Amino acid sequence: MQTKRTIFPNKLLPYALLAPQLAVTLIFFIWPAAQAVKSSFEREDPFGFRTTFIWFENYTRLFSEPGYLNSLTKTAIFAVSVTLLSMSLSLLLAVAVNRVLKSNRAYTTLLVWPYAVAPVVVGILWWFMFNPTIGIAPYMLRGLGIDWNHRVDGNQAMILVVIAASWKQISYNFLFFVAGLQSVPQSLNEAAAIDGAGPFKRFWTIVFPLLSPTTFFLLIVNINYAMFDTFGLIDATTNGGPNQATNILVYKVYADGFLGLNIGSSAAQSVVLMLIVIALTAIQFRYIERRVQY
Amino acid sequence: MATIDLIDLKKNYGNVPAVKGVNLKVADGELIVLVGPSGCGKSTLLRMVAGLETVTSGRIEIGGKDVVRAEPAERDIAMVFQNYALYPHMSVRGNLEYGLKNRGTPRGEIDRRVQDAADILEIGPLLDRKPRQLSGGQRQRVAMGRAIVREPAAFLFDEPLSNLDAKLRVQMRVEIRRLQRRLKTTSLYVTHDQLEAMTLADRLVVMNGGLVEQIGTPTEVYDRPATLFVAGFIGSPPMNLIPAASLSAGENAGTLRLGAETDIVGLRPDQLYIARPEGDVLTLAGTVELLEPVGGESHLHVQINGTEQPIILTVQGRPKLAEGDTITVYARPEDIHPFNQQTGRRTDAN
Repeated sequence: MQTKRTIFPNKLLPYALLAPQLAVTLIFFIWPAAQAVKSSFEREDPFGFRTTFIWFENYTRLFSEPGYLNSLTKTAIFAVSVTLLSMSLSLLLAVAVNRVLKSNRAYTTLLVWPYAVAPVVVGILWWFMFNPTIGIAPYMLRGLGIDWNHRVDGNQAMILVVIAASWKQISYNFLFFVAGLQSVPQSLNEAAAIDGAGPFKRFWTIVFPLLSPTTFFLLIVNINYAMFDTFGLIDATTNGGPNQATNILVYKVYADGFLGLNIGSSAAQSVVLMLIVIALTAIQFRYIERRVQY
Repeated sequence: MATIDLIDLKKNYGNVPAVKGVNLKVADGELIVLVGPSGCGKSTLLRMVAGLETVTSGRIEIGGKDVVRAEPAERDIAMVFQNYALYPHMSVRGNLEYGLKNRGTPRGEIDRRVQDAADILEIGPLLDRKPRQLSGGQRQRVAMGRAIVREPAAFLFDEPLSNLDAKLRVQMRVEIRRLQRRLKTTSLYVTHDQLEAMTLADRLVVMNGGLVEQIGTPTEVYDRPATLFVAGFIGSPPMNLIPAASLSAGENAGTLRLGAETDIVGLRPDQLYIARPEGDVLTLAGTVELLEPVGGESHLHVQINGTEQPIILTVQGRPKLAEGDTITVYARPEDIHPFNQQTGRRTDAN
């Protein structure tokens, strides 16, 4: 096969065309990241007059600080819960919509809406609904004998942020699951039905294994989402409290750096967070390339 | 082993009828081929028997038992799909075992049946491969294997050969025939390929527009097509259909005796001659329009005087004729198929 190629003799033009994108990447991503790495090796005095290079002291301190270790645990709980909850619910919704032939476009459209809502707004929305004083949810829960106050109870606070974060991510997962489900040929389902598998068994032995590429992709996206993109949501609902109960890594970076003004520690935390996500993603990609193929 | 009875079977999609009342009795061990153009309802019919489509009205009996309300799994049938529908994440062995495992067949029995099927279809060396590592023909065999291991009451084939290339299709056709003869399992086979239908079937069911046009053995259907549609559909090249008036004119008037209601007559391309045969003959004068050599024989397209459509005749070898030559075409009066345009039916039916 031959493709027609146009050759531009100008040597500068390609660079000029790439420049805007490169500039944005450099200024807004690479530079700050490099700054963070640099700051993580430094200590700044309270007034910002003097910075001292202190090697790994920020890091060693970090890992001996109970608050940070607590934050690591909370992040793990939060990320795993959000990923499991949002993925399982969205799979359930996708399967339900996939079974409905009529009006499934309408359902799909409606289910996608939450994704368009900004994280902070999501936070406020759920904060309002679960507000111990004026919210509707605590009012109803009281009827069931549950005393809801996420400002006092750390577990309840965690449940609240997990629900809020999952709710927003369900739309995104849902879209991918619907697309994944639609690419599973109907005849496989029919063959399995003739082979004596009931609907539940068909799903777990035929459809779910064929969805695995979608599932793995979403796993990465959701973990990254829970670790990085949930800052606004936490800020609007719990502020990381009560008593550090929802102080996940990304929020702690903000709190220590911008509220506590401990720039060095905050920078070290953000570097660690970055490394964790890079490591997780690398592991998952390796796993995908090995396992998910047919 | 079972019979299949379809009794006034109908299927509507909304207000659109797809199958408009089909009656069919399939004897035990018989291979019935449903043939027709796309959209004629043959696949819908098969899928209703399989239980993959709901039935609007009518009854389906497999082995004398009404199965209209039964799940596909409860009907004791196995189906071979056009795209094979092999489970891509399972090995060939996994594909063959799946249906047996779901039914709680004991391990020893599963192994025996899988081994038997693998031997019959010669797919033993492929058992541990995944479907994507197989060629089209091999996939086809695995799909057949999946049907065989179940030892069902009936096989349903939904255009199983249409994804194969021409050569492989002929080979697999012979194999399916041999296999079905050997296992003696009642089979329903859907195809749009009339040659496949003719060569495979014990009996043919020719369908058109949701209705059965004719049921009969391949020779019956070929020798005495019941309707104009069947006449035009079965046989390649198709039967020539010409207005009766243009044939009964002139010197043919004495030899040709047609009923009053006959206004269209059919002539098979291989029952037309360029050399005058013995006995009574009908003659048609015309001009050679096109000469198509197809190997051992040639297709001659002749424009008959006074008709619009050219007729096609098959002649042995390569006749020494050029396009534009005027010739006389002969036919025997007993080879004529008389039809009525209005009803679309044969007028000498009895």
